Amino acid sequence: MRKTNNVIKIKDFKVDKGLPFDQEYNFAYLDENTKKMIRRAIIKALCIPGYQVPFASREMPMPYGWGTGGVQVTASCLTKRDTLKIIDQGADDTTNAVSIRNFFKKTSNIKTTEITEKATLIQTRHRIPETPLKKKQIFVYQVPIPEPLAFLEPKVSETIKMHSLSEYGAMHVKLYEDISKNGHIETAYAYPVKTNDRYIMDPSPIPKFDNPKMNNSPAIQLFGAGREQRIYAIPPYTKVKSLDFEDYPFDPFKAEHACDICGSKNTYLDEIIVDDAGNKSFICSDTDFCNKRKNK
Amino acid sequence: MIIPLLKVTNLSKSYDNIVGCKNISMSLYPGEVLGIVGESGSGKTTLINCLSGNLEPDRGKIIFNINNKETDFLNISESEKRKFIRTDLAFVHQNPRDGLRLNVSAGGNIGEKLMSVGYRHYGNIRSLATKWMNKVEIDKSRIDDLPITFSGGMLQRLQIAKNLITSPNVIFMDEPTGGLDVSVQARVLDLIRSLVNELNLTVIIVSHDLAVIRLLADKMIVMKNGTVIESGLSDQVLEDPQQEYTQLLVSSVLHV
Ligand SMILES: Nc1ncnc2c1ncn2[C@@H]1O[C@H](COP(=O)(O)OP(=O)(O)OP(=O)(O)O)[C@@H](O)[C@H]1O
Ligand SMILES: [Mg+2]
Ligand SMILES: [Zn+2]
Repeated sequence: MRKTNNVIKIKDFKVDKGLPFDQEYNFAYLDENTKKMIRRAIIKALCIPGYQVPFASREMPMPYGWGTGGVQVTASCLTKRDTLKIIDQGADDTTNAVSIRNFFKKTSNIKTTEITEKATLIQTRHRIPETPLKKKQIFVYQVPIPEPLAFLEPKVSETIKMHSLSEYGAMHVKLYEDISKNGHIETAYAYPVKTNDRYIMDPSPIPKFDNPKMNNSPAIQLFGAGREQRIYAIPPYTKVKSLDFEDYPFDPFKAEHACDICGSKNTYLDEIIVDDAGNKSFICSDTDFCNKRKNK
Repeated sequence: MIIPLLKVTNLSKSYDNIVGCKNISMSLYPGEVLGIVGESGSGKTTLINCLSGNLEPDRGKIIFNINNKETDFLNISESEKRKFIRTDLAFVHQNPRDGLRLNVSAGGNIGEKLMSVGYRHYGNIRSLATKWMNKVEIDKSRIDDLPITFSGGMLQRLQIAKNLITSPNVIFMDEPTGGLDVSVQARVLDLIRSLVNELNLTVIIVSHDLAVIRLLADKMIVMKNGTVIESGLSDQVLEDPQQEYTQLLVSSVLHV
């Protein structure tokens, strides 16, 4: 029987028996009841774009701050037919990405890939790939601090109220302060957005360069915060707008360089010191994109 | 006939079995300044907190009538109430630190209220903030400085600017000069008085200090043990107090 990935079929979530790999683990590590609980939170989150849904985060065999929220979301969405890609700061080969990929290889024996187009599920820390996401893909963000109002209001009971009553005026105070200090909006990461004209949301510490990619994306975007026990989501084709002022419109800043490896002029670049003399090189942070472009 | 801007009927609030305020009735008309006096623990703060939405009273009625629109303050939804508080009311705390964000610049503090009622043009927010710094006599070169670099008197003036910038319909002040050095009290008081006159503000002000009431208030109420024991035009009450308690208060304070 053929299955499509864009529809979440209940059947896909049945208990997996007789695993050919490490038998000690249930498929994708989490037990089925936990996955069910997390899927409920995910579905609720998809129904209320940008709203933070509480969930009972589980202990994972990795410390908080290493993507336990994202890993739990990924584990709950993963099916045997998925092809998984894990990136950290745009790269597939960093320690964090490698260890999470190995974790899923060991516990679920699914296919993995470094090629964005081939992945059906991508977990990320700090970047959105340059290759546009497409229909049928699920994109999972690791989130350290899910509450965009936390810097203004430490009391959770109060931030919940502010969200429910759309009391968001104070959010602009931060942008105001930026402009007053620097002449422009300095916030470069975790730049707050309004989702579906309703909830203000922290997009996790992606560079603001990536913010426009969230808007109207055909993929399902899921956000998991393990320590803070929150899941939120952007369903496909949803409006996502970065906050700004009328006279200081949002600007997805990018360094005035081309990639020294592939020559791309419109990708997000990492600045790298290449020798003892302090010479710098600029290269794509998205290693998959850069390799493909170079080899063309 | 002028309709009162604020009409309070039989308002009561207790804390467990301690009386905060009891059976308070009063009204306030547009452009009036009402002073509330009374000894420590007489219920002044309790009353002003109930009227401004900081505290939920146990019984009574609070009706605001603003631009011919009646608001039954204790019988609206929480979201309507918070919106009403945000757009129509203002509260100046005794301690300016309670009414300011200390990690946000002076301009950001003044501008916050504008942003919370929908201003989204940086240039406009900035120029209004500058105008208000000027009004409260803070040098506009200080607009990007943090409040921690300000003196107590400046902080209080900053808090006042922050509250007045959106032209609220009723302004509550709880001992606005109470926490200040005597030497700067007069300046802040003068500022409040000139703003009240210039902008025709409607104010409810709590003070221990009868001199403050005499200077600012058109009407006053005297509280004791949570109830109003005397009320009337300030000049009358201060010149010719009827209650023994008020007589004592006036003679002990004003004629030292
Ligand atoms: N949070 C509280 N819990 C319990 N009792 C309270 C509380 N707040 C006030 N009270 C009591 O209510 C009464 C009225 O207090 P309130 O603070 O309103 O007086 P006040 O006139 O503002 O006094 P002050 O001049 O000292 O500020 C007092 O007996 C006080 O002890
Ligand atoms: Mg008090
Ligand atoms: Zn490149």
